[in-house]
Amino acid sequence: MDGVRVGNRLIGADAPVTVGWENIPRVQGGPVKQFVFTWFQPTVLFALIAFWYYAPNSIAKASTAIGIAVGFKVLLLALEWVNPRYESWRLTWKELATDLFYVGLGFTVLRLVDGFIGDDVMIKAIQGYFDWDKFSWFTGLPLLVQAFVISFIFDFGQYWMHRGMHNWYPLWLTHSVHHYITQLNINKGAVGNPVELFLIGLGIGGFFDFLPRAALLAGAIGLSVSTYQHINVRFNTPRWWRFVFNTTEHHSLHHSQDYEATRSNYAGTYIFIDRIFGTCVDGEAELLGMEGGRRMSIREQMTYPFTEAWKSIRKRFARPVAVPVPRAAPPA
Amino acid sequence: MNLRLIDWIWHVRGSLALAPEQSKDEAFDRLEPLFHQGGTSHERANGLLRFSKKDQAAQDKMSIFDGGVLQIEHEAARPVLRYDLTSRALLACFLAPLLFLGFAQLTIAVGKFQTEPAESRSESGKASAKEEAPRPLNPIDKALGAPEPEKPDKDGKDGAKKKDRKPSPTAAYVFAGIFATLYVVGRVLEDRLIKGLFRKKLLGA
Repeated sequence: MDGVRVGNRLIGADAPVTVGWENIPRVQGGPVKQFVFTWFQPTVLFALIAFWYYAPNSIAKASTAIGIAVGFKVLLLALEWVNPRYESWRLTWKELATDLFYVGLGFTVLRLVDGFIGDDVMIKAIQGYFDWDKFSWFTGLPLLVQAFVISFIFDFGQYWMHRGMHNWYPLWLTHSVHHYITQLNINKGAVGNPVELFLIGLGIGGFFDFLPRAALLAGAIGLSVSTYQHINVRFNTPRWWRFVFNTTEHHSLHHSQDYEATRSNYAGTYIFIDRIFGTCVDGEAELLGMEGGRRMSIREQMTYPFTEAWKSIRKRFARPVAVPVPRAAPPA
Repeated sequence: MNLRLIDWIWHVRGSLALAPEQSKDEAFDRLEPLFHQGGTSHERANGLLRFSKKDQAAQDKMSIFDGGVLQIEHEAARPVLRYDLTSRALLACFLAPLLFLGFAQLTIAVGKFQTEPAESRSESGKASAKEEAPRPLNPIDKALGAPEPEKPDKDGKDGAKKKDRKPSPTAAYVFAGIFATLYVVGRVLEDRLIKGLFRKKLLGA
């Protein structure tokens, strides 16, 4: 395979990928379908922002946000059914059950563990140690600016954590498991080794004080933008959206079987962070995964980082094996 | 205990009448492409096909199954395909509610363990809430009509309540219910899908 040169990099030399927006297929079908799948993403984003901006305090609560998030995901699952991006990514019962297992872990055990060693706890400990109060610089800013700052701070941290995971072997071991998924569906973002899920959830936002409504607005931006990273729906995403926000196209390239393509598009919400640091590649891919698309079982996903780490440590610290050198034959 | 009484949990069994003129070899030739998938090995002998799968792709039409036996027998002069397939995914899904009920119990146990420290924390929480200054809305938001934030006093009380809140086992119970439902759906659905797939391959043009 020849691959396509993007800057100094050769993308698609190992596995097929599509590079460049002009090469990405458009939504097929009648005018109503075209209209819905062109305007769905911006409409939901602005509707959710308007809702959280104006909702009375009695409604603007975390429980409402959870209800909206669950309803939105069910709607997106229906869209995957109606207008899939790739037939080969169709959600099967087994894939749904596997994905929901990881979603379940996130809502139960991981949340419990976070209560003891999560970022909130760490930040409180640091604040307590230095006798710091929360930085309340932002509470006077307009709500939408606060919301952007909250989501940007988190995404900026996530960008570097994610990039670190692709560049430092111990971190990669935790993240590699997530790259064994062979298709993108709504809940695939939750699939991964629990250690990675813990690490990627760390943020420094807790150091700052914001209005609760701004935090809810930031959550709405995250929901209506970064959820599309893992989705099997063909959208005619507007050009401005693709320039600013991460999309399923960007993220499928990140998950492709092509090594060089996986080292791009690290941000979760704001793809412009990748544009700033030169890691953005616009395009998409259908063939995803590692080792030629080998699907990893849940059991292996749970143990892989540890077994691989053990193998690497043993290899590094193994005693050099004495290899007998054959004696040279005496000259005749 | 006789395993046959419970092995329907992870076994999918069924039979399918073939066309009278279809020979064993012809029938297996039609089914064979299903077993030419990554991670799948199979062997055929004397009207019997045995297969096993490892790390099968999500795109494999039989990905839910990890192994099984297909056999063609003659019943009243008409050949019949009988199959017995095993699925670890079905078994895992059947057991998943128990795992999540376990997580619920763990959450309750952790909540009990945390009760005492939470009481002492709530006092300091209230104290700091009293010191909190009111946080006015930015003039732009006021002009646009966004609701004012709640009074810091009330905020403080709510905050203290939040801090006292024990970890809730509700999510674990919800997921136990989700997996119980998923199992029933999967057991019925996958039974029908595999029968449909075999029928399509054997009787299809």
